[in-house]
Amino acid sequence: MAQVVIMPKQGQSVESCIVTEFKKKVGDKVSVGDILFSYETDKASFEEESKFEGTVLACFFNDNDEIPCLENVMVIGEPGESFDEFAPDAGAAASGTAPSEDSSQAGISRPAGAGLRGSEVVELERPQGVWGRPSPQFEGGVERSETVPGGTSSAAASPRAKRLAEKKGIDPCQLAGSGPGGRVIERDVLAAAASPLSGLAKAMMAEGGLQAPAAGSGIGGMVRGGDLEQILRCAQDDRGAQGPAATGAASGEFTVEKMSNMRKLIAKSMYNSLQNSAQLTHMLGADARKIQALRKKAKKALEEGKIDANVTINDFVCFAVIKALQKFPKVNSHCLGDSMRIFNTVNLGCAVDTERGLMVPCIKHAETLSITELSKALKQVADDCRKGSINPDLLSSEAASFTVSNLGGFGVEWFTPVINLPQSGILGVGTIVPRPKDLGSGVYAFVPYLGLSLTYDHRALDGGEATRFLKQVATEIENLEIDF
Amino acid sequence: MPKALYIDPEVTLRPQEHELKLPAIPVMKYNKTVKEEIESGRFTKEDLLRIFRDMSYIREFETMLNLVKTTGGYNGVPYNNPGPAHLSAGQEAAAVGMAYALDTDDFIFGSHRSHGEILAKGLRSIQILPEEELKRVMDEFWDGATVAVAKKAYSGNDTKELGIRFLLYGAMAEIFARTTGFNKGLGGSMHTFFTPFGIYPNNAIVGGSGSIAVGAALYKKVNRKKGIVVANLGDGAMARGPVLEGMTFASMDQFNTLWEGDMKGGLPVLFNVMDNQYAMGGQTKGETMGYTFPARLGAGFKADAMDAERVDGYNPLAVIDAFYRKKAYLLEKKGPALLDVVTYRYSGHSPSDQSSYRTKEEIEAWEKEDCIVAFGKKLIEAGVADQAALDAIRAEVNANIFECYKLAIDEEVSPRMDLVKQDELLGEMMFSNQSVDSLSDAKPDVLMPLEENPRVKQIAGKERFWLDKDGKPVSSMKSYNFRDGVFEAIVDRFYKDASLIAYGEENREWGGAFAVYRGLTEALPYHRLFNSPIAEAAIIGTAIGYAMCGGRVIPEIMYCDFLGCCGDEIFNQLPKWQAMSGNILKMPVVVRVSVGSKYGAQHSQDWTSLCTHIPGLKVCFPATPYDAKGLMNAALQGTDPVIFFESQRLYGIGEKFHEDGVPEGYYEIPIGEPDVKRTGKDVTILTIGATLYRALEAADILKEKYGMEAEVIDARSLVPFNYDKVIESVKKTGRIIIAGDACARGSYLNDLAANISEMAFDYLDAAPVVLGSRNWITPCHELEEAFFPQPSWFLDAIHEKVVPLKDYVPTSNQTVAQMRLHARKGI
Repeated sequence: MAQVVIMPKQGQSVESCIVTEFKKKVGDKVSVGDILFSYETDKASFEEESKFEGTVLACFFNDNDEIPCLENVMVIGEPGESFDEFAPDAGAAASGTAPSEDSSQAGISRPAGAGLRGSEVVELERPQGVWGRPSPQFEGGVERSETVPGGTSSAAASPRAKRLAEKKGIDPCQLAGSGPGGRVIERDVLAAAASPLSGLAKAMMAEGGLQAPAAGSGIGGMVRGGDLEQILRCAQDDRGAQGPAATGAASGEFTVEKMSNMRKLIAKSMYNSLQNSAQLTHMLGADARKIQALRKKAKKALEEGKIDANVTINDFVCFAVIKALQKFPKVNSHCLGDSMRIFNTVNLGCAVDTERGLMVPCIKHAETLSITELSKALKQVADDCRKGSINPDLLSSEAASFTVSNLGGFGVEWFTPVINLPQSGILGVGTIVPRPKDLGSGVYAFVPYLGLSLTYDHRALDGGEATRFLKQVATEIENLEIDF
Repeated sequence: MPKALYIDPEVTLRPQEHELKLPAIPVMKYNKTVKEEIESGRFTKEDLLRIFRDMSYIREFETMLNLVKTTGGYNGVPYNNPGPAHLSAGQEAAAVGMAYALDTDDFIFGSHRSHGEILAKGLRSIQILPEEELKRVMDEFWDGATVAVAKKAYSGNDTKELGIRFLLYGAMAEIFARTTGFNKGLGGSMHTFFTPFGIYPNNAIVGGSGSIAVGAALYKKVNRKKGIVVANLGDGAMARGPVLEGMTFASMDQFNTLWEGDMKGGLPVLFNVMDNQYAMGGQTKGETMGYTFPARLGAGFKADAMDAERVDGYNPLAVIDAFYRKKAYLLEKKGPALLDVVTYRYSGHSPSDQSSYRTKEEIEAWEKEDCIVAFGKKLIEAGVADQAALDAIRAEVNANIFECYKLAIDEEVSPRMDLVKQDELLGEMMFSNQSVDSLSDAKPDVLMPLEENPRVKQIAGKERFWLDKDGKPVSSMKSYNFRDGVFEAIVDRFYKDASLIAYGEENREWGGAFAVYRGLTEALPYHRLFNSPIAEAAIIGTAIGYAMCGGRVIPEIMYCDFLGCCGDEIFNQLPKWQAMSGNILKMPVVVRVSVGSKYGAQHSQDWTSLCTHIPGLKVCFPATPYDAKGLMNAALQGTDPVIFFESQRLYGIGEKFHEDGVPEGYYEIPIGEPDVKRTGKDVTILTIGATLYRALEAADILKEKYGMEAEVIDARSLVPFNYDKVIESVKKTGRIIIAGDACARGSYLNDLAANISEMAFDYLDAAPVVLGSRNWITPCHELEEAFFPQPSWFLDAIHEKVVPLKDYVPTSNQTVAQMRLHARKGI
């Protein structure tokens, strides 16, 4: 009769333990007293001795898995005995009973998406509630909207809630369910999608046939009558109906143009970004004297044929950002809701304005590039975007680990860039303006300052860390040393 | 309990006679020779040879089936017949003797062992039908498809000879499940029949015909149709309750004491016991019964012992002699009658029965007495024929059977229905779905003009909506109520359709136990409305027979719980015959079933689910006077069996929904359409029957206390059921509670819930919640609120399983955990 080994409960308050190492693997013979695995709580380390003699038939977890106390961990018995019934749950049984020999692979939800190489990824936390079991969390490199059954209380959403959430672009897993057992039900999605309605909008809604947008054009996102009219017009235009709104077009007050697919994609991506993350922006000026001087040197070097790239201010800024990112790996990351994807390389996204709209190509392994190489690479991807010959893989928001968006050329000083999810941050680069600076000894001078606007996802980063990173960017800019 | 019949204590307590004298029952009295019979002029030589021929047809037919079953072929032509074959070799004289005395207008009903009876009655009808008539019957049947094949077995011009091929082929094709069979191959061996020859259904349920045949006799009597009805039953069937109930029903005194005019007199039905000595493997005489002879039963039912006789079923002339006398007796309106025809079954119950319960010697001894051989000898002795002539008859018979056999197993000319390719074909046959005002051309027998009826006058003074013009509730005496709705529909049909009759326990003077029929007594003669014995199997069984013959009938089951007493009739007979007959039969039976409360475990059950489970029944359960009248009108206009449930909680309720009041005129509510009784947007409540009103109370509380608007839908009908309105509602609300008074486990409520889950899954905000009664006995009235769904249960269930209500404290445990616990315990 097969015997099951459980995770012991070490103290009243301990709910789970982490296995530091399985000393016995499936197929190993064990005797009473053999160490099966070592494990630890946040306070102490332990070793679990076998109370049984036999062969390890199954092991449901891997090294470093966090396992709830009293959960079945291993099964010891005679070869051939059945052990499926001991699997912690039916869903985990299939994959859990035969863990991969390679413990660095097993138990990790390995992204297989574009630009994500195994070596680039370190999993910081287990997906919540999954307890280290192989997780379907981001198959194909794309986050699944469903959470894993048996996870958090908000795991279940009613079919109706899911359907509505999809329509509204809301992830039901992010909602606190108010249904029985914490199930996300329709009203939770409605509440999440609800925006204040103006009196006129309410009246229009009451007439029926209209769906209020998640946010309107009024103060605080209030949905105004005009917003609903807009929707109505679009809807009627879609149907080719000759409604009252269409007569406006006929009288020449406006024309209605279909959104391009590109526009629709951008709209969806930007909207999702703001809906599904906690974004805020810090702004800091960097003394630009150094990079202005470097820019002059580079121009000269180009003229003298020493270098073959026209290195711009933006190139220097990007160069500095890459250096800063290497010092702040958590900023160089993707926020996946319940886990973080920390990059060991810098895949730098760079916003490019094209005729077709905003595009954000990515430079892979940017930290390996010299300033001229970086300059050329940035020019190359921007050109490719404008020509439309860019490799689509490089445009995926999953491809870049961080993005820089430069509006300095247009005279913008500060702005609040929108994060390209799932990235954790984006740096907005403004124009250089002279600002008074205390040079010491009571001497003030106008010094050129570069506006830096860092938008970050507060889910991924706290303000302190974001600020320190932004300061680091400024420091890198102010102290950049490059010989041409 | 008619007032006309005075129960005199003087006579009852102090009778003149101090013995109950039972008449003597004749046993084996026939003793005439063939010669004597010829001399008496009863038979010609041709008649006698035809009797021999008909017996030979039956013997060879059964031999063929036996060989097919046991050797996989006949005369070297292989065929596999996987279906049943309950053979009657040995019983030929009994079958042919029975049929000889019958006209085409006389109907026979049979058992699972009735091939011989079908062939005998068919051959007899072919003999006596005018040629033109026979030709017309064959040409019209299945648009000539069957006779077209039969013609391949006969190239001559003799219509009667063709008729024989038609009969043999039609029966075989039916047994082999071919579309050219008498019932499109849907009845098979145990249900083959052909009404144009007076052959009515055989029955795979032992004794099933015992009450159905009585209903056919009732039809003949009430509708003044010619002929008698023969219920062919085995001796094994004498143990069956429905047979005894059928005999009871058929023997009712009222036919003589209360029925008037030309209706006075007994039912023309003969219980004909094919006494073949065995019931399956049980031996009736000496083992499983105690009656000595089945003939004894007659004495139990009627003063003249049903004129019972035990006759020699091994001599066709003895059987014919008895039948002539019984037929005359029945035509004198003295019925019912009982014949005990002694015979013997050579084969086992079926070919798989090795007859382990009897000796070889016994079978051989009976084979020595073989009825065909013996009759042949008598014919030779009487000089009717020589052996060569008899052999020639048998050779011709065998050749004809073989020809028909080859045609009946030929896939080309005798195809089967392709129910895989045409997967809706059988479904479309389950109901006839006709709309017919009247099933009779006659003028309805009524006792007064409708407008003079006291009940009609009383209703005329009632308010037809529950509120008066000023919006105040009308007093219950002045309010048109549910029972008025049912009454109006029924009385209207009584004045439209002369074939309509109604009966049940306490249907007449009492006006039904719940006064629905009050006023009908004054309007209708006994033969259209009468009290039945307390015999539910007979009440439903006779209604089935009545409807089979073409009449419309409303049998009443006083309490739903009593459906168990007529389980076979409700579940095996009523729903099956339309499809099983290949749609030859219609089944316009509206079974009124009253659903109780207050009366404890055996009088308060809602068994709608049992009826919805059985394919072939339509099921209604209206909850308002308007719906009751409209649905009853639709049920009575149709041609399908409808189980019409009425809740005893609602008989006195006024119309609260149809604001114009219940219309005085005729209208129908199509069976199958649920009705939105209150609109709402937050949760849907779908109810069955009287639960509607508790759901509305719950809806009121939801609105007042929690601001939730419930949409309340009344199912009204359960089968058929149009989900459109329900799905539309669920798309709106996302939530649904399905409630009824049936015990929740295994109920139709769960069926609705499962289907709604599938049909509207993406729109559901919670799984559909079923609210039924507890899986207990129904406790007595004082404790009922713990058993039946209460208004609070709706809120409890919504709170626990659909959407938590603010600051709500449930009163009952409607949680999923509780469901699992109860399921584990089986309660």
